[in-house]
Amino acid sequence: MTDLTARLDSLGNALEHAVAREIGGREQPPRGLRISRRAALIAAVVTVAIGGAAAFAADRLTSTDVQSSLPAGEAAFIGTDPACTPVEEGVEYHCVLARRPFHEWTSNWTNAKEPTVDATKHVNGGCVGLTADGLEWECYLGQAAVDHGIVGQGFLGQYAPGPGHG
Amino acid sequence: MRSDAELLAASGREPAAFRELYDRYATRVYGYQLRRSRDPDAAHDLTAETFAQAWLVRKRFRDEASGSIGPWLFGIARNVLLASVRRGRLERASSERLGLELPRAAARPDETWLDGLDEAFDSLPETQQDAIRLRVLEDRDYPDVAELLGTTEQAARVRVHRGLATLRNRLTTREELTR
Repeated sequence: MTDLTARLDSLGNALEHAVAREIGGREQPPRGLRISRRAALIAAVVTVAIGGAAAFAADRLTSTDVQSSLPAGEAAFIGTDPACTPVEEGVEYHCVLARRPFHEWTSNWTNAKEPTVDATKHVNGGCVGLTADGLEWECYLGQAAVDHGIVGQGFLGQYAPGPGHG
Repeated sequence: MRSDAELLAASGREPAAFRELYDRYATRVYGYQLRRSRDPDAAHDLTAETFAQAWLVRKRFRDEASGSIGPWLFGIARNVLLASVRRGRLERASSERLGLELPRAAARPDETWLDGLDEAFDSLPETQQDAIRLRVLEDRDYPDVAELLGTTEQAARVRVHRGLATLRNRLTTREELTR
């Protein structure tokens, strides 16, 4: 076995063990905790991610764009038919869903934080749940979502080809 | 044999599935990072980070290459490299997030790690980019490349050959100009 092979093999072992630890330590905590963990994960991933910090232009978005951004960011919003009204155009929107979002692990959406994704498949902001049933959300675009602790700075503008799944 | 996509999907509950994916791609990802960084220790760190990130964002994978995770994984590898250069330090957030305890490289990424290749590659016709990606980065054989591109084996060979020749010319010219 060459040095390189041995080194890569050792890295493979370390990765496999790390993944096993993650899987083994995984439980289904209450939603709030799960979101926090997810936020931490996002923060970790974002810093790495893609340099693609695609230029973000919240000022060009409309309420309709925001409505579309919810299901694009989180699969639980698919089919919920959100209606968003601007609180501050291009920055903050209040969104009411026609149907409750569905997630197998979640029964309480209060303070749940979900990223939103625009038509170009880039993270453009995020929403925070206002009610336990998940029917009302406050959504922030661009830097406002970062300022409200919904998405990490580096995550904003990242490429997100499909909606997340919790 | 399970496809890459199947292994990735299973890796959320089977560490061995992720290991199998790693074994399929580790050498090529390492090779990619080594070619860019020219530093074996840095390439090792970047390889760790690439796979750690791949596992963490595995749910975002969409199968757009007939079961192969190659294009997606090398996209991550490239982005890890870009992020490292942009920040002037090796990206480790995901490997730290997974608690990987590795000896850390001291290399400081700089712009020379990106010299030319992305630019030159991006300037190739899309058909040549696809052919090179499949043949060189994913190490697929020509019948496979041809099938995925919906063309003949001969045409696939021509695309790869022309693309690589163009890359070689452009990079050589660039190096000569900067000498």
